[in-house]
Amino acid sequence: MKKIVIKNILNQEKKLIFDKPGDYLVFFENLSGNLIFDIKSSGVNLKILGLYIGRKNQVFKINTFQNHYQPSSTSNLLIKGVFYDQSRFYYQGLIRIEKDAQKSHAYQKNQNLLLSDEAFVFSEPKLEILANDVFCTHGSTTGRLNQEQIFYLQSRGLTKKQAEKLLVDGFINEVKENLG
Amino acid sequence: MSSKKLNFQYRYGFSVPEVSIFKAKKGLSKKLIKKISQLKNEPSWMTELRLKAYQVFINKPMPTWGADLSKINFDEIIYYLKSTDKPKSSWEELPEEIKETYDKIGVPEAEKKFLAGVSAQFESEVVYKSIQKQLQKQGVVFLDMDSGLREYPELVKEYFSKIVSIYDNKFAALNSAVWSGGSFVYVPKGVKVTLPLQAYFRINAQNFGQFERTLIIADEGSYVHYIEGCTAPIYTTSSLHAAVVEIFVKKKARVRYTTVQNWSKNVFNLVTKRSRVEEEGVMEWVDCNLGSQVTMKYPSCILAGEGARGEVLSIAYASSDQVQDAGAKMIHLARNTSSRIISKSISSRGGRTSYRGLVHVGKNAYNSSVYVSCDALILDEKSRSDTYPTMKIENNQVDVQHEATVEKLGEEKILYLQSRGIKKSDAEGLLVNGFIEPITKEIPLEYTVELNRLINLEMSGSVG
Repeated sequence: MKKIVIKNILNQEKKLIFDKPGDYLVFFENLSGNLIFDIKSSGVNLKILGLYIGRKNQVFKINTFQNHYQPSSTSNLLIKGVFYDQSRFYYQGLIRIEKDAQKSHAYQKNQNLLLSDEAFVFSEPKLEILANDVFCTHGSTTGRLNQEQIFYLQSRGLTKKQAEKLLVDGFINEVKENLG
Repeated sequence: MSSKKLNFQYRYGFSVPEVSIFKAKKGLSKKLIKKISQLKNEPSWMTELRLKAYQVFINKPMPTWGADLSKINFDEIIYYLKSTDKPKSSWEELPEEIKETYDKIGVPEAEKKFLAGVSAQFESEVVYKSIQKQLQKQGVVFLDMDSGLREYPELVKEYFSKIVSIYDNKFAALNSAVWSGGSFVYVPKGVKVTLPLQAYFRINAQNFGQFERTLIIADEGSYVHYIEGCTAPIYTTSSLHAAVVEIFVKKKARVRYTTVQNWSKNVFNLVTKRSRVEEEGVMEWVDCNLGSQVTMKYPSCILAGEGARGEVLSIAYASSDQVQDAGAKMIHLARNTSSRIISKSISSRGGRTSYRGLVHVGKNAYNSSVYVSCDALILDEKSRSDTYPTMKIENNQVDVQHEATVEKLGEEKILYLQSRGIKKSDAEGLLVNGFIEPITKEIPLEYTVELNRLINLEMSGSVG
């Protein structure tokens, strides 16, 4: 597996081209800009992981593009965000499967936790599918921490703060585990 | 598969000679709008609203997103057509050609099947309506919009254009300027209309655009189900259908609005549908889009009162040269509001379906929940499917879920059905009908049957 960590996005745009078969893992954290993943080979198995922790008045605007040009490749995107205070998060993601990219599998998932009443999330996961023999899904959830879980943890003697931290850590862990 | 079957003939593609008494020239002008308003004997506020809307229409640019609308030539459209002087109240009084058309759609039969009232729109004026005595006894008003304005001017003035303003979009402005026909429904407090109200819509004159306007007011604690089914004959030149529907759902009221549209494949169907839902009210849109060249339609619920609920169930089917750009909008403005959008789309033979939606949870909409699910089937390699959902969340006491899938028909399933002796095309039809079943079970049976039959016809020979 080839691991790529994106440290920054210069000039608002970064393009990664995958033209050889293989397993790839891309990770980025708290970045803004356009991230373009061009899949130009069959047999690419691409995993994209993004993590956002927003505090105070931080603003993140991230757009991702999963472009499948060649058949029989897989891309799997997961972006998780936790937003405190007045932080704002704007996410637009596009999966585009071109005509020739039959037998593509493309997934896109964006999950956000709002920890403050003043945080704001904009999420637009888009699909443009021009081939027919494909399997594509996207999902987006935005919400608060599970109140029952917090209550349970409190009943076991944790403070509300500790309970929240535990649940947030668990939420983020899905990304970290995938990082290996 | 024989080649004959590949060419699906539009079922209601027939046209009868026009019987219009007044027919406007092609194109739109201030003079024509004044003339329409004058012919209808409208109060001056309506004339002014029409003229203002006309200005807005002229000034607004064409939308730059969604389907290609450049083929619409606004100068080639007839904006007003009146087929008989005033709406007829009995079937016998109707002109012979009109009856003939209705016979082919089956209006009289439909009426026999417990229709609460049939209001059939034929060439822009509602010419036939029958309201059962029971409805009148309950105090329910079910009129064409023109009569509604004449008989209940105060009520219409209070609500008309209050959800869909003339400044909303270019086509809503156009409709406000030249509207004609449509339904006016008022359900008094606590009244439950048990039988659905139905309106049949029809475009008949060549190049004739239909601009109906519907206003439904469901007072506190009432319930009504309104159904529109649209069929239109085939033309060689493009027709425009730009309707506006406004629905007011008062406290604890519930309204269901069902559409089954099967416009012929040259119609531009650009409709603005919106509802405002008060405290604990429920609004349900059931929207089935099969026909037309281009459909752009996003039924909306403004959830303005605490505990209001909105729901949109939609089916879109796009075949060759068709674009179905449909979706839904849910705007949460109050506490404890909930919404659900379920969209199923099918594209075949080069058709394109798009789901375009908006979910907006405002600052004060604490404890709201949203569920959006869009499933798409792509039946062949020429077709295309897009999903453009937008979610704006402005407070943290919410649960928002969105999911979408795009796939093709399961090969194993088809193979299994074939192994049981079912023809491939029938197997595909079966699977497609199964795919949309969660929505078709919500619509009246006669429409479900017709929908299933249409899909079977479209399916026969569409793959392979």
